[in-house]
Amino acid sequence: MAAYMEWERCLLDCSCGVSEPISRLYFCRYCLKLRCRECVSHEVDSHYCPNCLENTTSAEAKMRKNRCPNCFDCPSCKHTLSTRATTTVITDPTDKTKTTTKKVYYLACGFCRWTTRDVAMPDMTVATGGLKELENPHANWIGGVLEYYMELGQLEKVQRDKKKYAKRKTHLNLSDKYGLTSVVAKKRGMLSPASLQLKEQADKVKVRDISNRDASDAVEPLSQDYYTTDCILSDITTISQRLALVELQPEQTKNLFPSRKLLIIRRSHRCKECEHNLTKSDFNPSSIKFKIQMVAIQHIPEIRFIKPPMLVFNEESEVVLTLTNPTVIQSHVNLLPSNKENDKLVTAELVLPSSELILAPKDETVTDYGEEPSDGSAYQDDPSIVTFRKANKIGVSVKVKPTIESGNVWIAFILSHQYTNMTPMLKSESSGVSTFQLEHLVHVNLGQVSDSTAGSHSPGSRPN
Amino acid sequence: MAEKVAKSNVKIGQGAVVCAESDLQGDITIGAKTVVHPKATIIAEAGPIIIGDYNLIEEQSHIINKKVTDADGSTMCVMIIGNHNVFEVGSYVEALKIGDGNVLEAKCKLGRLTELTNGCIIGPMCEVNIQETLPENTVIYGSNCNRRVQSDRPPTQALQLEFLAKILPNYHHLRRPTKTLPKLNP
Repeated sequence: MAAYMEWERCLLDCSCGVSEPISRLYFCRYCLKLRCRECVSHEVDSHYCPNCLENTTSAEAKMRKNRCPNCFDCPSCKHTLSTRATTTVITDPTDKTKTTTKKVYYLACGFCRWTTRDVAMPDMTVATGGLKELENPHANWIGGVLEYYMELGQLEKVQRDKKKYAKRKTHLNLSDKYGLTSVVAKKRGMLSPASLQLKEQADKVKVRDISNRDASDAVEPLSQDYYTTDCILSDITTISQRLALVELQPEQTKNLFPSRKLLIIRRSHRCKECEHNLTKSDFNPSSIKFKIQMVAIQHIPEIRFIKPPMLVFNEESEVVLTLTNPTVIQSHVNLLPSNKENDKLVTAELVLPSSELILAPKDETVTDYGEEPSDGSAYQDDPSIVTFRKANKIGVSVKVKPTIESGNVWIAFILSHQYTNMTPMLKSESSGVSTFQLEHLVHVNLGQVSDSTAGSHSPGSRPN
Repeated sequence: MAEKVAKSNVKIGQGAVVCAESDLQGDITIGAKTVVHPKATIIAEAGPIIIGDYNLIEEQSHIINKKVTDADGSTMCVMIIGNHNVFEVGSYVEALKIGDGNVLEAKCKLGRLTELTNGCIIGPMCEVNIQETLPENTVIYGSNCNRRVQSDRPPTQALQLEFLAKILPNYHHLRRPTKTLPKLNP
């Protein structure tokens, strides 16, 4: 029964040749092809904090370095810190006898019990926003270097643009021929303003003098403490704790500081060939619904098998594959032999039913609300081919003969089915819906070949 | 009632709330103001168990002074548990010495050889059974049982104990406290 749930068993081939389970594939209804994650471009939709679910625009996120302004991470175990409140008794400085109770807040981790009091940080008087940002000791120098490079970049851009306009200097030479200098030309308005601007800019952009930080050989010698004093492991930070705070990189646990939580993104997918959107999720970060969701599982019949067969080398056995119709239209499915040559994965011969299989439409009252499915008596089924029929699912029996003595048995076939485009793409289409015949190559892993000696069962099969 | 009447010798201190549905077997002493929830199991097989004051023993927790089969039968092992400890739901304790202010979180397992001092926190599903005395204020957390030393003790559950002492008698039958209780060393 577990084989029914294993989603890596039945693989569909994407249009680029990669085999993926149906749950991982997208379906582009404009190209009428399956798309895997590689054939799809991933785009950033929005940024949001995984804890407070606050939406942030890309520009704002960039300014805040992709960090949430409200939520903090525990430096010890990377979980989210929560704010706790306690009351302290404060003596009035003027009158020693009067005492007032005040609420103070500190941050604590629920998982490893780290608190801001562990690093001797003073308790905050306000619930949110009380934590002081950590100052990066190298911030000034890094800012200076960044500005230096930005100016360099600007200078190079100006020089590049100058070269572009260099051809226009010919008319300047011409005018020089006739004795006009550039100053006179400016008076008479003969120089193009663009090239003039560039010249001025080039003179203005002066790159600042930045002193190089030279690496020196002189390192202070290792103090003898490293050899004599015992190492207290609980005082020393682990590498992952250290690298989480890149600016500080504290070596001791008493210097740890909570870091702001990183924002995560919401993606939307786009078909690389036709540039149409395949998935687009809702704007609200707490909603899991999609605005556009074109995934394979909603359009392609799903293939699974319930009971792994008893596979013996060179002996034919019967496998029941289930086909589920995800659409609300009756579907006609054909199972055709695979036409892929030299398919290294296939390790069994397959005998497929030759007749066309009809799948009932998906009835939402049955699947979602659990009502009784209508019996399949409306369909004339050959019992040797169609083993059972239930709502939009049928069981098809195929015969498998493994050609290997041990290992996984893979079969391959082509699933040919009708796809009806429910929503017309162009307004000019006269008929509302159009039907296409689609074919997909399917590989199914049926399990291990069991030993031919009687009495031993392969781990995949179950005794009847 | 789930107690074995034959060997049970339970002394309950003043103000302790011990539900009748808890399973107490053997020689057990429970201190003042301690709350023992129903379905808690305290089995004193290999020797008496002495539990201090202000402890909170929640449902499905097991405190067992287990009889070790290969040890000689003459030595009596006394399991001593201090004050202000919290044994959360599903915890399993065989340790012989537990100090004050410890928190044993849900489904943790404490072996016989380990000793807890004060203020230790054993995280959920963590299993600690090596022969070691855990230093004060140690926190054990995570699937790898990572360790950390805290600077503060965990906060006491005094409010919770008060609340339970008021509410539990409304819904459960309690064992009566015994009249005289010898003074215990904490």
